[in-house]
Amino acid sequence: MTAALQQPGYEEERLRRAAEQLACREPQAAMLLALMGEPHHYSFPSIFIYGHQASGKSHVMQVLLKELELPHATVSCVECLYAALLFEQVLLSFFGCDAASLLPRSPSLSDFVRVYRQQRFQSPARQTRYIVMEKAEHLRDADANVLPAFLRLQELVEDNVTVVLLSAIVWDKFRPNTGCFEPLLLHFPDYSKGELHQILSRDKHPSYSAELYSSYITILLGVFYSVCRDLRELRHLAALNFSKFCEPLLEGRAKETDAHKLWRNIEPHLKKAMRTVYLREVSSLQWEQMQQMEETECKAVRGLSAHTHVELPYYSKFLLIAAYLASYNPARTDKRFFLKHHGRIKKTNFSKKNEKTSNHLLGPKPFPLDRLLAIFYSVVDSRVAPSASVFSQISSLVTLQLLTKVSHDDQLDAPKYKCSVSMDFICAVSRTVNFDIIKYLYDFL
Amino acid sequence: PRQANPSIPSRSLPARQPANVLEEARTRLHVSSVPESLPCREQEFQDIYSFVESKITDGTGGCMYISGVPGTGKTATVHEVIRCLQHAADADQIPPFTFVEINGMKMTEPHQAYVQVLQKLTGQKATADHAAALLERRFSKPAPRKETTVLLVDELDLLWTRKQNVMYNLFDWPTRRHARLVVLTIANTMDLPERIMINRVASRLGLTRMSFQPYTFKQLQQILTSRLNKLKAFEEDALQLVSRKVAALSGDARRCLDICRRATEICELVGMGHVMEALNEMFSSAYVAAIRSASLQEQLFLRAVIAEFRRLGLEEATFQQVLLQHQALCRVEGLPPVGVSEGLAACLRLGACRLLLLDSSRLGLLMRVRLNASQDDVLFALKAD
Repeated sequence: MTAALQQPGYEEERLRRAAEQLACREPQAAMLLALMGEPHHYSFPSIFIYGHQASGKSHVMQVLLKELELPHATVSCVECLYAALLFEQVLLSFFGCDAASLLPRSPSLSDFVRVYRQQRFQSPARQTRYIVMEKAEHLRDADANVLPAFLRLQELVEDNVTVVLLSAIVWDKFRPNTGCFEPLLLHFPDYSKGELHQILSRDKHPSYSAELYSSYITILLGVFYSVCRDLRELRHLAALNFSKFCEPLLEGRAKETDAHKLWRNIEPHLKKAMRTVYLREVSSLQWEQMQQMEETECKAVRGLSAHTHVELPYYSKFLLIAAYLASYNPARTDKRFFLKHHGRIKKTNFSKKNEKTSNHLLGPKPFPLDRLLAIFYSVVDSRVAPSASVFSQISSLVTLQLLTKVSHDDQLDAPKYKCSVSMDFICAVSRTVNFDIIKYLYDFL
Repeated sequence: PRQANPSIPSRSLPARQPANVLEEARTRLHVSSVPESLPCREQEFQDIYSFVESKITDGTGGCMYISGVPGTGKTATVHEVIRCLQHAADADQIPPFTFVEINGMKMTEPHQAYVQVLQKLTGQKATADHAAALLERRFSKPAPRKETTVLLVDELDLLWTRKQNVMYNLFDWPTRRHARLVVLTIANTMDLPERIMINRVASRLGLTRMSFQPYTFKQLQQILTSRLNKLKAFEEDALQLVSRKVAALSGDARRCLDICRRATEICELVGMGHVMEALNEMFSSAYVAAIRSASLQEQLFLRAVIAEFRRLGLEEATFQQVLLQHQALCRVEGLPPVGVSEGLAACLRLGACRLLLLDSSRLGLLMRVRLNASQDDVLFALKAD
């Protein structure tokens, strides 16, 4: 099934072993290999590989470099917060600890180049050295000179070195404004449904036949392919649900050939999985436990997002309600809602005809502290002194991220806030204090 | 402490003597070969000379502010004044004095001025704070047999700090009774004291000001002929052309000398044509040349930018808007339409050579595009072919 990779200069055996591990990525691997050339050849100074998540970018690079035993340094740009760590890792994997310790305390790019050149002089490259940078989009946030320098590292250090950048973002968004050496662009396309099927079918269960696993994958892809094409996610789901799929076989209710029976058994289960495990409402461990406890319905366990209930003090609840009302009601309607003797209101003033969208669609609006307190005193029936505890409750609501402060931190007079809780949450809170919030919301009038 | 004098390695062969007339002219026209006497600056020389001389003979102190656009001979004139005064002092016509020069551009930090002044006065090394204290004591305490110090501060505007204490001290020391300090300051702008100095600093600088006017073409011509000194390397008309061109633009003598040197590199006996060539090299706009040699898609992109500016009536557009124009232009020209990446690449290449001013490329389609050259220049460059 795998057309063997071909490139003079490498052992046949190694190439064959590499090709075995690279299912459905033969054209890309062959292209990369052709770019690399023979081990001692100079390759392109920098290669930029892009493609979606889990399209095999790192895998192909790693397999090629490992199987062909080429000197390489793999660096994850997420881990390298500072360029200094990056320099250290590169030197470490090319020349060993001694070289890395030659770097000064906070090395600049020129220090790195100097140490590299010095080391290269001592141990010249007999094969092309490869620097593989994963998640290269983080390089853009490093110092402005790091990305351009790595793109032409071959020229800077005068060594046979190639930098491979891996990213899910296109090159257009990388280009620095001052221009740079253009790398060679290489695209890894998404896996098609057939390819996903082929790759997923490779890790079959030892105690069942390959056909059975393959038909299981077909059912899985039938359910999940429309929402998820991420190989990693699909593989995880396949591993998680396979035991449920095999249940009828173990119990003897069906044979391996009863495809329809198996499908009838697993399909509702997979649909439930999409609502729960796929969104991480229920963790994988909980899911496995649930599968073992036959009888319990999957729904019995409440997911993460169902835990919206928070215990709050009495006045905090009212403060939150007041904040919600202030955020989602226009200020001109306050008089009508919260004043006892507001006089006659003209109907025209209140018609919502000319307002196109509801405030709930536009999101919360900021409001000043005065308005919050005014609404608070209006909705709380008893007399509340504006004591320090009320104000500290407001600030603790901010720290709990139930309110958001939108004005500057140093502004002590007239700070502005936004309410950042959902409708369901506020309804639950108002129910606990016997307050009918719907009656006071302009959108639901 | 070890006393070591820094030196550079000396060359193994002596420098070549100029072999022919042109090489001779080239060495004489070099900016660094300052002549013995500066032509066309006699009045300024006289003013500065009399100011410093009177302070030295009276044993008092004072400040002077000298301004003028670059290349008008400010530093050279002051140096010549000091040289003449030193001759006079050697001949016992005036009391002896010490001369110290600092340059704001040669310092990493304004407070380094104290360190350099102290080192040049006494050879002592100290931190900035300590040096300031030592200098303060030196200038405020009476001492018998104290010489007058002449301090030249070049590039004064770089000594600006938020509290302006460096400037304040430099101008305050001469006012002390026993200081005997003359401070000559040089900067480019005439209204520097009014613009950046706070009142107490500006008032101490005083009103002794001098401004060097840019050279007129006659003065430039005189400078060139005095430099060449009857050397037959230039045609008379050629010299006149250079001086007229430079005088019309800036009146910078250095520029003038550079152009003449470039002209001697082009040919034997420098005529009008060669000078024209050198002038074109140094004055012509690089933008036009860059646009003319840009690729077809880049030129189309520039045309799209201008078309979009016309449509919007603004000098700014997003990349998305320009790209639509670019694609329309491609259609008109009968070229295959450009994709987003291709258009973006052309745009960023133009941005990298500063024909366009761009936001960060991360914004993609929402990146704002502005022209760095004038629209007329761009149209002229695009139309010429």
